Formats: sequence, C-alpha cells, structure tokens
Amino acid sequence: MNRDFVYLDYAATTPADPRVIDAMQSCMGAGGTFANPASIHIAGRKSAAIVDDARQKVATLLGTEPGRLIWTSGATESNNLAIRGAAMARANRGKHLISMPTEHKAVADTFRALAREGFDVTWIRPDEYGVLDIDELAAAIREDTQLVSVMHVNNETGVIQDIRAIGDLCRARDVLFHTDAAQSAGKLELDLDDLPVDLLSLTGHKFYGPQGVGALYIADRPHCNVLPIMFGGGQEKRMRPGTLPVHLIAGLGTAATLAFAEHDQDLRHVSALGNRMWAGIADIEGLQRNGPAEGGYPGILNVGIADIEGESLMLGMEPVCVASGSACNSTSGEPSYVLRALGRSDMEAQSAVRFSFGRMASEGDIDIAIERYRFAVDHCRSISPVS
Amino acid sequence: MPANDPYNEEVRRCFETPVHAGDVEGEYPEVLVADVSESAKGSRLVVSAGVEDGMVAEIRFRAFGCPHLVAAAELVCSELENGPLERLAAIGTNGLMERLAVPVGKTGRLFLVEDALRLLHRQAVCAE
Repeated sequence: MNRDFVYLDYAATTPADPRVIDAMQSCMGAGGTFANPASIHIAGRKSAAIVDDARQKVATLLGTEPGRLIWTSGATESNNLAIRGAAMARANRGKHLISMPTEHKAVADTFRALAREGFDVTWIRPDEYGVLDIDELAAAIREDTQLVSVMHVNNETGVIQDIRAIGDLCRARDVLFHTDAAQSAGKLELDLDDLPVDLLSLTGHKFYGPQGVGALYIADRPHCNVLPIMFGGGQEKRMRPGTLPVHLIAGLGTAATLAFAEHDQDLRHVSALGNRMWAGIADIEGLQRNGPAEGGYPGILNVGIADIEGESLMLGMEPVCVASGSACNSTSGEPSYVLRALGRSDMEAQSAVRFSFGRMASEGDIDIAIERYRFAVDHCRSISPVS
Repeated sequence: MPANDPYNEEVRRCFETPVHAGDVEGEYPEVLVADVSESAKGSRLVVSAGVEDGMVAEIRFRAFGCPHLVAAAELVCSELENGPLERLAAIGTNGLMERLAVPVGKTGRLFLVEDALRLLHRQAVCAE
C-alpha cells in the first residue's frame, strides 16, 4: 500500500473495506441500484430490497430483528435521537436522567441541552480506570428517573462498561437503558436478544463501513419508544425522515456481514498489535497508561507522559497518525475532558496519545509508531526545561 | 504536506533541528538566565545568554510548549547570537508571528519569547 503516513487512529474512523466499496459502487450511477427506496416503481423496489438486505445484515450482527433498527446518519444522530427522543417520550413520567462525564460529546452535549430545557441530569464519575460503579448507579436512580445512558466502550481509553449489569439494574427499576456502541458494534460480540439494552447507537465508519450512515436499535418492550427529533417524511416508521442513502446502507450492511464473519480474526489482530505497541514503549520513563491495563478493548491504547508537551509530541511523531489529548486537538481548547474525569491533571491529559488499531494496520506500522513515539519523547525532553 | 498544514517550513526546520536548544556551555564573564512561564497552558521558556564585551556570545533555550514556541525560541536565538546586547530589547512578536505563520490564538505563547528577552536585557542593564 502506497501511503505517506502510518494510520493508527482507527477509533476515530476506519478506512472502508474494499468489499464495502464494491457493494457501494454497485449502487451508484445510472446502472446501479440508485433509486429512492420509497418509490414504488421497479427501480425503487430494487433499492428497497438492498436496504432490507442491509437491515437484515446489521440485525444479524447485533443479534436482533431487522424491524428494531432505524437508519441514521451515524452515532451522533443515533445518540441524539435515542436520548432526546426517549426523554421526550417519557417526560410525563419524570424528568430525571443519568449519564457519565466520560461519554462522547454526542451523548454528553445532548444531556446538557436537555438540562437547559428543564431535565435534571445526574453525572456519575467513573473510577480512575474509567469504570462505572454499579452501586453508585443504583443509588442515583430515583422514582422519576427515566433514562440511563452509558457507553459500551470508551472511545479514548477503551474501557468496557458492564452493560449487562447496568441493563439488569435499569430493567429492575423500570428505567430505559441506552448505550453508545460506536466503539463496540462490529468489534465486540453483541447479542441484543439476550442483552438488557433498550436503545443502542452505532455507526458504520468505525468498523470499515462508510462515513455518514449508522443505526439506532430500539428494543421491542413496553414504554420503550422515542419521539422523532426531525420531521419531514414518513421514512423509518416516521422516526427519521429523509431519503435513505442506498449506497451507504449497502456499505454498512456489507461491513456488518464482514464484522460478523471476521470478528475473531479482527479481535486477535488488534490484540496482537496493541500488545506489540505496549511492549515497545512500556519502559519509557514516566509513561502512564490511561485506562485499564487488562480487560479493556484491545484495539485502543492510551498513554501519557506528564512532562511532555502534547502538540510538540504529535509533530515529533509524524507521519504516524494518532489522536491526542492535547488542547490543540480539541475544539474546546481544553485537554481531554475524559482523562480529566479519570482524575488526570491537565498536564497529564494534554500529553495523552491514543493509539488505535484495526484490520488494515500491520506489525510494520506498529514498529514505525514505536520508533517515532520514542524519538518524539526523546526530542521533546532534550528541549524541555522540565525534564 | 497538505495545504492546511498548521506548521510552515520555518517552524518545521526550527522544531526538528533546534541547534540552540540546551544550556550555555562556554565560560563567560556573565551568564544571564530568564525563566518565564504561562500558567494557563503550562508553557515555559528558559533562555540563557553568555555575555562578553557587550555582545551575546552564546545563547541557548529550553522550552516546554508547542512547536511554534520552540521554533520562535530557536529563531531568535540564532539571530541574537554574536550580536550586540541591545538587540535583546529590539525583537518583538510581530515579525515572529508573520515569519512562523503563528495562529492568532497562540499570540500569548510568543509573548513568552518577548518576555524572556526583555528580562535578559534588564539583567544586562542592571549588571552594567
């Protein structure tokens, strides 16, 4: 592969699998399955068949029925629809909601918006590894609590929350449970017929599908429903209007099939790469691992060194593409709020680097990343008055 | 590099090969040291200068900060070395901002360079 960079930012987005691209291309152009699937003519019906097939494929990946899935533009929209839609649907029963400060902005900002509109939001801080204390959640649930939202795999640290325990607790207390599974769908096994999850968000581009398409799962349970947040058409059971992007949905369906078939292989691959990366840098003086050393999603490795400046570290690491906890990489101008919530200082958070691994990354990529990270740390330290 | 590269060639050159990074190593009648920091971002700059016969004979820096700060420190050190002490008071941020294409939001970090040079100059004047 001819590239002028080494890509280890798979938690941000993954390249589309070539087989996904093939599936998408077959939908595009005058000779493709391009028509509006809501149209009743033959071209529309062909598109509808593609959409139905993709819905079945995603349902198979998630262990559920295709009728439980709503197409969206991605996890951000799914999260907005799930949280706002559920809060509004149950507002007559109560206005108390629960989440965590380590959630993705698509979740946290939706809760903040609801708080400005009169909802009461409780934020439960995790322990130093990012794990939710289930007893603390149980204590936070009130008579008027309507929704708990806790992400499955954290996008910055890879910590995995016990969504079965959280879901069981929520069901016992008649509270809806939403999980943002953007980092776990297509990567970890999910069986929604068995898991006590009411609402689940996913996006295609985190598991080798295209950007711009995702889905929301809504369980078939009493009082588990969401109100639409957009209006304009009757698509997706009137919950998500707009002409369906057939090529994107076809791509997502293919990505789901591949993830289902190659799950074990993918997991072994990212585990091996993560272990290789950690082994290559663990001895660096002052290095701190952000997140769990064991039991987290193996495709994410987050590390930091408090006496290294994050932006200079990133430049020193070029051409390795990773995510940074530094303020320069943040639209808020602040170091990673996720790491701050784990108790890291500003200095620790700003130096954080998240390596994330995926299907197309190789051992050679990891070796380059190890060499560049070590070089960048040494370079920054050679200049620094702190070291 | 893509057109939206946040670092121009000068920044990259100065960051990658900061030949003036370190401490003054020669022996001089006078060695001045300025240590300035910006608490908001944690940036810190230490500039040391070996002074002899009214000249900056050797000048070195150490920086904890973004690549623009490192590049600015390297650039001014290379321009001040072997020059008259008075130049310490003459270098401002405007020229640096332009030459290094520093984003407006980082102006505060470049003031660190100016602060350090002014501090060195004051020390030199007081010592006379």
